[in-house]
Amino acid sequence: MSSSTSLQTQKPLAGTRSASAAPYVIAAALLLVFPLVLPSYYLSVLTMILIFGLFAMSLNIIFGHTGLNSLGHGAFFGMAGYITGIAIVTYGIRSFWTSAPLGILGAAITAAVFGIIALRVSGVYFLLVTFALGQLLWSIAEKWYSVTMGRSGFVGIPAPDLGLSLLNLGSPLRYYYFVFVVFAICYYLMSRLHESPFGNALLGIRERESRMRALGYNVWLYKYIAYIVAGMFAGVSGILYAHFNGSIAPSHLGFATSALVMLMVILGGAGTLWGPALGAALIVLIQSLASLVVPARWPMILGILFVIGVMGFRGGIGPHVIKTARRMFSSGSNQS
Amino acid sequence: MGVFAICLLNGISFGCILFLLASGLSLTLGLMGILNLAHGALYMVGAFVGWTIASHLGFSFWIAALSAGCVAGVIGLIMERGFLRHLNRLPNEQVLLTIGFVYIITNVCLWIWGSIAKPPYTAKFLSGAFTVVGWPYPFSRVAIIVVGLSVAFGLWWLQDKTRIGAMIRAGMDDREMTKGLGINLELTAAALFFVGAFLAGFAGVIGAQLIGANVGLGLDILLLALIVVVIGGMGSVQGSLIGAMMIGLVDAFGKILFPELAMFMLYFLMVIVLVIKPTGLLGRKV
Repeated sequence: MSSSTSLQTQKPLAGTRSASAAPYVIAAALLLVFPLVLPSYYLSVLTMILIFGLFAMSLNIIFGHTGLNSLGHGAFFGMAGYITGIAIVTYGIRSFWTSAPLGILGAAITAAVFGIIALRVSGVYFLLVTFALGQLLWSIAEKWYSVTMGRSGFVGIPAPDLGLSLLNLGSPLRYYYFVFVVFAICYYLMSRLHESPFGNALLGIRERESRMRALGYNVWLYKYIAYIVAGMFAGVSGILYAHFNGSIAPSHLGFATSALVMLMVILGGAGTLWGPALGAALIVLIQSLASLVVPARWPMILGILFVIGVMGFRGGIGPHVIKTARRMFSSGSNQS
Repeated sequence: MGVFAICLLNGISFGCILFLLASGLSLTLGLMGILNLAHGALYMVGAFVGWTIASHLGFSFWIAALSAGCVAGVIGLIMERGFLRHLNRLPNEQVLLTIGFVYIITNVCLWIWGSIAKPPYTAKFLSGAFTVVGWPYPFSRVAIIVVGLSVAFGLWWLQDKTRIGAMIRAGMDDREMTKGLGINLELTAAALFFVGAFLAGFAGVIGAQLIGANVGLGLDILLLALIVVVIGGMGSVQGSLIGAMMIGLVDAFGKILFPELAMFMLYFLMVIVLVIKPTGLLGRKV
């Protein structure tokens, strides 16, 4: 009898990891083999899914695991993307090994500054302040033309140059595999973080902050570090996105991006590790289909998705999938 | 001296618009615990409806303002009764739901009114100007100040001096106890939400005298309203008024003194207030 994964207590996290490696092997195999036969359009959709999956998982570190509802996570995504654009287009730094660390560092510094301001408040206020800070970056990006190229942003960002002729990432398929490798590494790191004492402390803060404080934890510092780490992973996804899309614009820093990634996390299931990636996959898929069929009405469809997601799938589809999978597994083992 | 006076009046009038907008947001947030990010979108609906009635169809400005308020109020009521009522004390879900409504409302507005911005409009009898220290000053801005301050006084009176205000405040402090005393909180909540949304739509028409109407307004104006709420603190009329006036004045003087940095000064103000008093200057504890 599998324990019911109640969302209010949200304790299934430890169980899902130790259960079995099979789902991971299957998912990885599918993600490695499937692209070889996909048409190019769907290959780009799959690349987007991995990039936004990583982005959504990074928000989940603070949102799902620590309980900090940030509506400004696009800031780090866009910041890293912008630094990539500035490094490559403005300063002509071609090497990925220089531009990417700069981007991640930029995201980390942004998070470190924003964190000091935003973590003075909690709850709804935290959401308001992160939202305002994200919009601050957005307005800087729009107004500071000499550095950010204003409203149009940077265009013509090439594929990453890894400095090895063997690893030329020029073709979409090669770039996909590059994104896959980065995604896999980040997934591994985030899962390790999640299982570490640090990750457990974050869960503790989400469940009962006052108790953690009484136990002697420096709650503020834990939140602050989690916020920066989440910002860095968001930065990684932003760099991948800038190279993939070839451009970065103010909207990537602002409300639209931050709200979209929040929807991915809630729709996929905040608190589970891979649920947000699933939510990202769902949103990106629907977005790509809608933009083919009814581009002008996409915002409305997105809005309706928000409403349906909140009213119908509160707690996310991730936990539903876990439950179904468990049921399948247990019935299978009974038969054998 | 003349420039200073004009700037002061500009700041106060813009602050009054922000107050009309932010007070509804602050009341629903502070007294009902509902964060309605579609509040700016309701303002935008009001601005568009007002434009249609006053400028396009040529009815009286005040009819436009009241009917735009009612349209926004009804949309707000639908949101509250149909959806938000089921999301009590779930801020993240409220945020996502209302963001969804932002997208839906913005897209419908784009569908109906198109992407071309509507110019500012005003009532015929407000179209004149008078002289302030040698400078002409439009009547419409003075009207904004009068309306804003009267609404502020009315809301303060409603909140602090009437039975309804006491019921609302009691409901926020202790929901179960208030229900136990036989007060119909559902009805109170619906009415309060209607008032908040009505104010947003009403503010849309009043504010359209300065900024017109366009489809990007829903988010732009929401941002300013949120900063006002963060600065003033949520759940009190006085807090919203102080926050709105500060933002209005900083914006007006910032645009003259540091035109490049006007937007950043608002954030700067917000950060300073957060450092000194994280719950806002006059916030109720939520």
